[in-house]
Amino acid sequence: MDYVEQRMAQEAAKPAVAADSSSLLTPLNLLILGLFLYTAYSFFKPQPPAALPKEEPAVVFTTFTPRTLLPYNGENNAPVYLAVRGRVFDVTRGRNFYGPGGPYANFAGRDASRGLACGSFDEDMLTKDLDGPLDTLSDLGRDELEALQGWEDRFSEKYLVVGKLVPVGDE
Amino acid sequence: MGAFDNVLLTVDEAISDLFGQWNVHTTAIVGLFVGLVAYQISTRRDPDTHPLLLARQAQASAVRHEGESAVYRSQAAPHGMPLNAGLNVKDPGASKWSRGRDGDLRDIWRQAVAGVQDDGDTKGATGRLLTVLGTENVTEHALADITRQINLIGQHVANQGGNRVAIYLPNSVELLVTLFACAFYNMTAIILPFDQPDDAVLSMLRRSAADTVVTAPGSFPFDTVVKNYPSLRQLVWVVDEGSSHMDWNEVPQGTGGSVNVSTWQDIVGDYPVDAGRDLPPYEGQKDPRDITVFWQAAPGTTEEMVRFTAANLVSAVAAQIFAIPTAQRMGPSDLFLPADSLANTHTLALTLAALYSNASVAFNSVAVGANDLAVATRGISPTILVATPAALLKTHQETASQLSSLIARNLHWLQTRDLTQKGVMPVASLLTRYYDRLRPALGGTPGKLRLVFTAERVGAASPPLSSAVLSDLRVYTGARIIYALTAAKVAGAAAQTGFYDYRVFDDAHSHFGAPLTNTEILLKDTAEHKTTDSLSKGEIIVRGPSVAGNEAALGVVGVIRDDNTLAYL
Repeated sequence: MDYVEQRMAQEAAKPAVAADSSSLLTPLNLLILGLFLYTAYSFFKPQPPAALPKEEPAVVFTTFTPRTLLPYNGENNAPVYLAVRGRVFDVTRGRNFYGPGGPYANFAGRDASRGLACGSFDEDMLTKDLDGPLDTLSDLGRDELEALQGWEDRFSEKYLVVGKLVPVGDE
Repeated sequence: MGAFDNVLLTVDEAISDLFGQWNVHTTAIVGLFVGLVAYQISTRRDPDTHPLLLARQAQASAVRHEGESAVYRSQAAPHGMPLNAGLNVKDPGASKWSRGRDGDLRDIWRQAVAGVQDDGDTKGATGRLLTVLGTENVTEHALADITRQINLIGQHVANQGGNRVAIYLPNSVELLVTLFACAFYNMTAIILPFDQPDDAVLSMLRRSAADTVVTAPGSFPFDTVVKNYPSLRQLVWVVDEGSSHMDWNEVPQGTGGSVNVSTWQDIVGDYPVDAGRDLPPYEGQKDPRDITVFWQAAPGTTEEMVRFTAANLVSAVAAQIFAIPTAQRMGPSDLFLPADSLANTHTLALTLAALYSNASVAFNSVAVGANDLAVATRGISPTILVATPAALLKTHQETASQLSSLIARNLHWLQTRDLTQKGVMPVASLLTRYYDRLRPALGGTPGKLRLVFTAERVGAASPPLSSAVLSDLRVYTGARIIYALTAAKVAGAAAQTGFYDYRVFDDAHSHFGAPLTNTEILLKDTAEHKTTDSLSKGEIIVRGPSVAGNEAALGVVGVIRDDNTLAYL
């Protein structure tokens, strides 16, 4: 409290600075003017319209043969594709299932129609001859075709169709 | 005293010194500062729509075919879902949650007569139909009377063997009545653009194989047509009240012996008052017939004839209704004025949308081609207007030339800032009172107009509107503006700017927004312009239920901008 009283007395003892009181260019005025101008600037500064980052470019629909589909098996971070009845699905999002080491890894980069229809993930479900005609599935029964349809519907819902599969020589 | 106390003392003294300099200027500056902050806070408004919704207005398909871009669709019409095909008409007694029919023109008129069906304050309200003659003479047509005319004209023309009915009329109630009469009485309507040279009229009649013409005396080359077009069986004159005393049924000797001539007024007047009160019932009605229109490209070229199915047209109407946010849709409190020819499907679809929404509709035959909105809106105060780009450009030029004073220009700048920076329509305030005198005179009561539709016509040499001009017009008129891309084979619009999109870009020709809910757009590679992973460009292709033949190439090169809106390249 002593200090406050002492300072009050000090300030009171100062001579009145009448000459200074009407000047515009005092440090205080400049400071407040600067703040004012900055605020006005930030209020009125034109801002460009909001923008979103550019979308991923669309995947180009491609015609595959069994041979050109083969590299898309998910190894070395490649995308995982598989074909069902001529339609090639991008199942990369399901890499845990269809990618290397997954339970369905055999289907990656292959025509999976017969395997899905028969509910078997074995190697012998795949068409061996990559240069031959596509599997026509003509020997399958009604239940198996129904199962295949179910798979196809699920794939269509979940995954993108990125191409079609045709036999070699037909592209 | 320690060193710390010394520091405190110095700080204390410095602050006292600083504020000791307080003087009258300081007070003034602080006053300004407080005023600025208060202005900002008091005028602060939420943007009309979230800015990020404008940053990506269409959705691209994830897969594209070689040689074309991805397919772009409205955010409201996701990929894999059917596009918006119809009006979702629910028959009386149907469950509220059932899926309605797509409907056709007949349902539009039934809805116009029935009034608003949704529960609420306006339940049962119907719109009004007005004809504006000159500056003061506004005639209202009772909806029941229009229904009667639809029935009587439809029955008369059909009984006389009419099958393909050409309508050669300015924007008028009669044009609309004939269109609905064709829909209800199973005839094909052919809408001819009005005010064409004789040989153009003749050529259009020939190509459309019309057997009946509904037209007004003075504009239709009767002798030429009768001489050169023997297939004409029937003609209905729509006669002004002023000249109805003349005998219009008389056919000049030697010409047109086989043409059955009658007047609109006689047909309607000859029947008892009770006749034709009820529309044909919905049960057992036949499938709707096509509607043929002519697209006028650049002057001097032949009009392109396009046949739209009733489904095409109704999809266009539905998409226009959906294109407007629910809170802002047309309703019984709106007055809709088409100041562009009803022979354009864009204007027609909007007019039908207004009828279906139970808005009032006004017709002004002067409106078409006059290119002067002040003239077109004389005598009434529309809230919604369809205007040509040329007319809007003229309004813009006239108003801009009056805004020369410093105050006016600064007020204009402030209001433009509301639009482009804050994303809100400028509101009336004390500040803008001065500005109001300079606004263009659109309609009798200023401030009523709330929405303006305008459309670029592909290949028709309509003047381009830049986004800056559109923004200026929003400020001048106080109305939102929707700028659409229209083409011959697309009923209604192929794409149009968003209702809340007020952004201004550095462009000579504004973008056209996103596709509607009934169209999808892709760009096909041309020799020069090819789509790459970074940019989609090429010839504009439109698909959807409103496109004649379901798919049409527009013949112009477009580009998809970063905000997924379509623009000319």
